[in-house]
Amino acid sequence: MLRFELVSKSYPGGFVALDRVSFELQKGEMAFLTGHSGAGKSTMLKLISLIERPSAGRVVINGIDLSGIRSGQIPYVRRDIGMIFQDHRLLMNHTVFDNVALPLVIEGFTGRDMARRVHAALDQVGLLDKARCLPATLSGGEAQRVGIARAVVNKPPLLLADEPTGNLDPDLSKDIMRVFEAFNQAGVSVLVASHDLGLIARMRYRTMTLKSGKMINDGLLHSEDAE
Amino acid sequence: MSILFNGRASGASDSAPGLVQRFLMGIVGHLRQAVSSLGELWRSPVWTFVTIAVLGISMTLPATLHVLVKNLQQVSSSYDQSFEISLFLKNDITETDIATLVTLLQGDKEVAKVRLIDKTAAMAEFKQESGFGEAISFLEQNPLPDVLLVTPAQSQPAAAEALLNKLQKERFVELAKLDISWLERLAAIMSLVQQVVYTIAALLLCGALLVIGNTIRLLIMDKKAEIEVMKLVGATDSFIQRPFLYTGIWLGVFGGFLAFLVIELMLYWLRGAIANVTQLYQSGFVLNVLTLQEFGMLMAIAVSLGLVGSYLAVRSHIKAIEPS
Repeated sequence: MLRFELVSKSYPGGFVALDRVSFELQKGEMAFLTGHSGAGKSTMLKLISLIERPSAGRVVINGIDLSGIRSGQIPYVRRDIGMIFQDHRLLMNHTVFDNVALPLVIEGFTGRDMARRVHAALDQVGLLDKARCLPATLSGGEAQRVGIARAVVNKPPLLLADEPTGNLDPDLSKDIMRVFEAFNQAGVSVLVASHDLGLIARMRYRTMTLKSGKMINDGLLHSEDAE
Repeated sequence: MSILFNGRASGASDSAPGLVQRFLMGIVGHLRQAVSSLGELWRSPVWTFVTIAVLGISMTLPATLHVLVKNLQQVSSSYDQSFEISLFLKNDITETDIATLVTLLQGDKEVAKVRLIDKTAAMAEFKQESGFGEAISFLEQNPLPDVLLVTPAQSQPAAAEALLNKLQKERFVELAKLDISWLERLAAIMSLVQQVVYTIAALLLCGALLVIGNTIRLLIMDKKAEIEVMKLVGATDSFIQRPFLYTGIWLGVFGGFLAFLVIELMLYWLRGAIANVTQLYQSGFVLNVLTLQEFGMLMAIAVSLGLVGSYLAVRSHIKAIEPS
């Protein structure tokens, strides 16, 4: 599903964000990506969503090498990847409904068909009653769930989350992770970048650890490692 | 279409099979975006107003000059109508010769009208008009020649001059005369004025174009965060561009209409003053206003300025905004 082959990314000035990273995420697999801030987690997600291009190596999704994707095709690639951000990136002057509907509007959906899908996505994150609210009136956890609804509304096969629980207290974080688990059980591949080691260890999923751009651990993370 | 996942249902194209339905959906989508762009303008009324005013005024000046030139042309063409070539005929020709010449001229394609003033009639007129009545009756014979007044078919000075040269060579013609130089001067001045108008218009419209581009740029910068999010969820540049292009079109529509209103008000205001002048000169001059066709032209220019201005801004600035 998602494969990194000796991927390196260095920025002008010589800073190496990723150093020959390789891994493969299977179809329907859920995995965590962890490490200190600056270890290269965000860079990895940016390479997948084509915000950045690798300096060396190949990023392959579903057998297709992303280096062959022209800039005009990037929007279409992004439609296949649901992305969730730490600061949720909602449009503050649009309602929750409009925010979730955005990917559908972009793909040309209108009317009842669109509304049905938006309501389904909001239902999955438990926010059906907030459809008419503006994001400013939501709590942090609710806003993050709206972000998730927007990411999944067009049913992408791959879900990426960058520090989705970064601003949330432990209970809310657990709720958010459960939402990801639910999507994973529905067959979606999920990759979550997080530095919340305690929470990750309790979840018992495959965990990849980055340190200064190198992959130093790939497997189950045990609670004792988290300290 | 999905690039990464072959066969993955994506986009409305999969759920709405009919081509006609998709076409209608597209139109509905465009209409919705057009209306929402209009709403977007209300959110920053000051900039919108300034831009519309600049566009309107930039269009008003050249359009007014155009109306002015049009009316001047109307005045000068009424003079064109009146220019005639006077053919002074030789003294020794017979009436049959004159009749032949008149028939000949009437058959000429370049001649619109021929009028004969024979020497007797000319004498009588001269006696009456000049005030030399008594003195003239002492003359033994009529010194005046027969005159043919020829109106050229074409009213351009150049054509009239060509006809003059031709008629000069006629056998019975002593002298052909056409006072044409002032007409040529008028025509030259008119074309100068016209070119000045076009130059000023081009400069003003370039200015308007820049102002529109700048307004759209500000709107884009204002929505930078929103555009980044749209790019992240897979919006193409052309999808993001569209509302801004509609904004440009709306600016054009309002700017063009403003120019039209200003011109109409100005003409309405001038009408009284012009009526006074024409009455004093006993002329049948009627002030020409904008025709429907010219109004359409004005709007078309304004709308295309809006569209081009916004396109220039959109093309460079939307590409530059990338999520990070």
